[in-house]
Amino acid sequence: MNTGPYSDEKVRKFLEEQFIPLRSLCIWEKPTGLMERFGIKWTPTFLVHDSGGKEHHRFVGYVPSDDLLAHLGLGMGKILFDTDRMAEAMAQFQTVIDRHPNAGATPEAVFLLGVAGYKHTHDPKELRRAYETLKATYPQSEWARRADPYSAIPL
Amino acid sequence: MAEIRWETEFDAALEKARKSGKPVFQDFWFDG
Repeated sequence: MNTGPYSDEKVRKFLEEQFIPLRSLCIWEKPTGLMERFGIKWTPTFLVHDSGGKEHHRFVGYVPSDDLLAHLGLGMGKILFDTDRMAEAMAQFQTVIDRHPNAGATPEAVFLLGVAGYKHTHDPKELRRAYETLKATYPQSEWARRADPYSAIPL
Repeated sequence: MAEIRWETEFDAALEKARKSGKPVFQDFWFDG
């Protein structure tokens, strides 16, 4: 049965259109092979794998619909980022930022947009712009602190 | 409302992913 965010039609549609949705039951008394393979210690744990089965994104704990959709989009972006498709990764991270500005995963998308932008253009201003956005929009996030070294880059 | 059609076998999900080019979203859950 689909409960929580899975009862949201937007989530169902996005999951079925963009992903292969897979549910793996955890049994604590006798951990399954998949639990051991992926080091699952708590539920829910969510993984995003590329089409070859390599893990690119993981998050733990209940998330409401908007947060889940942002994590899904972030996972798609990280697949592109990890496989050096930086222009596509930038577009995907920007989509997460535009569609889910208040989601918990979005500051990471801003950070990675800056990094992908820098790797794509070799212009360090991309990193400074990420810092500025994080400071202005998500000042309490860990990602704003991670971007702090980029504050010294001239614009 | 329609429900999500979950795959429950990892290898079957990977096979579908390989054929479609889509990523896999895996939810480790506990029925308790």
